[in-house]
Amino acid sequence: MGAFRTVAVLGLGLMGRGIAQVVAQAGVRVIAVETDQDRVDTGLAAVAAFLDEGVRRGKVTAEQRARTMEKITGTAVLADIAEADLVIEAVVENRDAKREVLAAVAAAVGPKAVIASNTSALSVTDLAEAVPAPERVAGLHFFNPAPLMPVVEVVAALQTARPVVETLVEFVGEIGKTPVEVKDRPGFLVNRLLMPYLNDVVAEFDADLASAEDIDLALKLGLGYRMGPLELLDLIGLDTHHHATTSAYEATLDPQFAPPPLLTQMVAAGFHGRKTGRGFRLGGTDTQEASR
Amino acid sequence: MTPAATSPETGTVEEAASGAVKRVAVIGAGTMGSGIAVVAARAGWPTTIYDLDETRVKNGIETARGFLAKSGKLGKLSASQVEAASANLTGTSRLADLADVDVVIEAVFEDLAVKKEVLAGLDGVIAPTALIHTNTSTLPVTAIAAGSVHPERVVGTHYCNPAPMMDLVEVAVSPRTSTAAIERTRDFLRRAGKTTVLTKDRPGFIVNRFLIPWENNCIRALEAGLGTVESIDAAVTGALGHPMGPFKLLDIVGLDIHHQVASRLYEQLRDPRFAPPPLVDRMIAAGDLGRKTGRGFYDYGDTKLFGS
Repeated sequence: MGAFRTVAVLGLGLMGRGIAQVVAQAGVRVIAVETDQDRVDTGLAAVAAFLDEGVRRGKVTAEQRARTMEKITGTAVLADIAEADLVIEAVVENRDAKREVLAAVAAAVGPKAVIASNTSALSVTDLAEAVPAPERVAGLHFFNPAPLMPVVEVVAALQTARPVVETLVEFVGEIGKTPVEVKDRPGFLVNRLLMPYLNDVVAEFDADLASAEDIDLALKLGLGYRMGPLELLDLIGLDTHHHATTSAYEATLDPQFAPPPLLTQMVAAGFHGRKTGRGFRLGGTDTQEASR
Repeated sequence: MTPAATSPETGTVEEAASGAVKRVAVIGAGTMGSGIAVVAARAGWPTTIYDLDETRVKNGIETARGFLAKSGKLGKLSASQVEAASANLTGTSRLADLADVDVVIEAVFEDLAVKKEVLAGLDGVIAPTALIHTNTSTLPVTAIAAGSVHPERVVGTHYCNPAPMMDLVEVAVSPRTSTAAIERTRDFLRRAGKTTVLTKDRPGFIVNRFLIPWENNCIRALEAGLGTVESIDAAVTGALGHPMGPFKLLDIVGLDIHHQVASRLYEQLRDPRFAPPPLVDRMIAAGDLGRKTGRGFYDYGDTKLFGS
């Protein structure tokens, strides 16, 4: 018997749809919730497309694909999550929006349902405060793309009851991921370590230490990293990193998290990385800042 | 373009650029020196290992030949390649024997005064057009180059350990280094099978510049109770795709070496991110240096502990 029988996933953006897929692939029933039917359809179509790609590459059988899709029910009605014993919230990364959603979730599910937020940059403790009986609230931080990344951070808020953390750790193992229990501190564990490193690289690149290409190449060859820091920033999105590191800076006043000026300028210029076609390693010679 | 480096009595560094490298010398027969000698000998250059006494020279050549023999056994090199590379290796403890080399790679003890002295000694021996490479990880190339009357031909070449196996060489350029010397250095390293990146002569160059604060931050996260040795390693390898977690890597590098590199960078940068966290001092005091002592962040259980 698994830790949870029915899992509701709120929000079918990039993260939500990946989480829904991971949970359904493990054979657990998923209720996938979006704000309207169009978004539900788009989200489920994206899951199907991801699985199709998996079938084409031989990573997933056609039967596994069909069984996964069968496990997911889409809905635009929040009341449909009543049966869920775990809710994973993956709506927009905005404090007020998440607090509102979590309060609505608490009103829609049973008093014993566990409520988890997939926030990466907000305080889980602060989010839990919006929920009656906050001891059942925790963070469940998946990495992007959720179906491929093997680690999930289980975040204990100050209010979280110990058994809730333990059950979530067990659940993460059941869905085939490595659980890492972390404190509710800005950036939790992985981003807490990653953000200062990325900021440091941007600042040194701005200070002409070496070219963007050579910085990436040196760290890949020297340390065996799969991606260099600047190509990683292009992938993550400069705007996304800027938002996260600014939040961490505001929460800690630790200068390691302060967004370096070049990052801020590139975000202002619309150089957000892959999603806009311009970034540190993209955009050609017309990207003045990134082509030195 | 930087103006060509010139010297009234000797001509320009560029004049030697057309001439292909014919002989290589490595100063210092330690781990890095013998590894770099393997790289040069394997690439086909007659390579002379120099050290202060014949015993060290002999040991260095033996280490290098041993590595080549092992490459042969593992099928990385053919028997004839092993033989040719081994035959390329010679040794000497007489600096005068290096008179006709085109590239000298200095890989002596990581001490500024010692390295400067080595460069000063080379001035009267090698051709003024010969390249001088200094393999340093934490010293300023500019300061080492000041030991030579021809600092324009001094280039920092930071090999990763083990040198024969790691592709990367950081080419560190001082404000005095000539463009021609940089070009010839990159060409030489390319022929030696290396991938080069170009970096300014700043503390830690690229890799250590970012690795040291990264590892210190991981240690501080451990000290702050944000995770355990195992959970932080698992999170980093899983979420960031690093080939190994920070603590496994620190145990391989050695806590004493990490402390030394971090301290040297801290002394130059005065940036607290580079200062070794207190836990490192404690572990060194306890003798827990990593794999080499059987215990570091992990317990390797293959070394008898006191009283056991």
